[in-house]
Amino acid sequence: MRQRQRYDGFCIQGVLSMIKTIKEYLHQLRKELRGSDSAIVQDALSDAEEHLRDAYNNAITIYPSISDADAIMQVIEEYGTPEEVAAGYRDIEVRTSPALAQRVKRYEEKKRSSWPRFFGVWADSGAWGSVIYMILSLATGIAYFTWAVTGLSVSAGLLVLIIGLPLFALFLLSIRGLALIEGRIVEGLLGVRMPNRPAFTDKRQGWWDRFKSIFTDGHTWSSMLYMIMHLPMGIFYFTLIITLIGVSLWGVALPILQVLLNLNEVTGIRVHGILYQLPDWVTFITPVIGFLVFTATMHVAKRIGCWHGSVAKSMLVRRDSQG
Amino acid sequence: MDDINAADKKFLKELNAGIASLVLLGVLDRAREPIYGYRIAKIVEANKQDISMIKQGALYPVLRSLENNGLLQSKVEPSVSGPPRRYYSITDLGRQTLKRWMQIWGQTITFVNSTLGEVGSDDKY
Repeated sequence: MRQRQRYDGFCIQGVLSMIKTIKEYLHQLRKELRGSDSAIVQDALSDAEEHLRDAYNNAITIYPSISDADAIMQVIEEYGTPEEVAAGYRDIEVRTSPALAQRVKRYEEKKRSSWPRFFGVWADSGAWGSVIYMILSLATGIAYFTWAVTGLSVSAGLLVLIIGLPLFALFLLSIRGLALIEGRIVEGLLGVRMPNRPAFTDKRQGWWDRFKSIFTDGHTWSSMLYMIMHLPMGIFYFTLIITLIGVSLWGVALPILQVLLNLNEVTGIRVHGILYQLPDWVTFITPVIGFLVFTATMHVAKRIGCWHGSVAKSMLVRRDSQG
Repeated sequence: MDDINAADKKFLKELNAGIASLVLLGVLDRAREPIYGYRIAKIVEANKQDISMIKQGALYPVLRSLENNGLLQSKVEPSVSGPPRRYYSITDLGRQTLKRWMQIWGQTITFVNSTLGEVGSDDKY
């Protein structure tokens, strides 16, 4: 209990005594890091959160009688003030040149006129990520939908039996797990940070209390709704992206198929025995059209990716941890 | 900790800049499996003497920068009780670097001790 006494004392500096929760600490840290590269801020916040949650869990396991405020104060004291921690990250930012270089590039991109910006999307990893996400979304949509609907109906049906309740609890847990996976996919492909994923549970709670907290947590249900909604959305994204990519590929491939390989049955449409196809000279324009359509597709994908990312964030992430 | 004044703090900070990297490489070199930040901090803390050399929060940026330089590698894994954890392990380059740094460290200690020793003996005479 030596440590406990130490923190009960008055030796805590001004900033630390103001911070009552881990969330507040992260908020303070974000403030301290304002103006730094976003990747550094993200690293700093996730490092701090990971550590503080672990340390907090550890503190309440070792000293079950410790109050929440004391436990948090203790772990924060050991971790360092937001100011100190931010200084550590700023030091490595100076040495991490690629991130800085990218920021300069982004700034220069803004200065360029609209045409290079239009084609600049080809080098935009976010746009490519969105394209891949849209193609994937049909498969993930089917999987989530099947799981959510099956799980919901099976466990709801079995609720009258004693086995129904644990089954239902497991199902709700699995929804959280799926939400975590989807969060990773969204973060990886759409670049939307999904903070504070598996919401940490209080280990001192009993089984029943934990079940109740999952059951009453709106986040569990919004995640489930997301799983169900993901199928229609996935169908839409998949169809849209495949159609657009198909049209672009058709445009690019047409002169090769029609003029070089003479595959008239492929490039034309036969109606009542008559073959209709574009005149050869037109086929030399279609690659340009295909290229433009694909570039436009990338922009569309990027927009949709952004939008979907914000939807995913609002539904899969707890309200109180968004920031 | 309260009796440490500003000059001491500054001295500690400057010392820590390089030592933290060496200590972290050493910890990860001895670890048999990838370990996450909090456990690394615990190991460092278990070995610390009376004064706390390095704040736990200061370890993380050093881990990141070692990783940026290819001396460590990391992977993120979800955890049951909290946010996902980043597990660090040492790379081959990290092991080679550690070997050289330990030599440098050894030479530094000898150099510092012998210099301080000389100053001490000068005072006597």
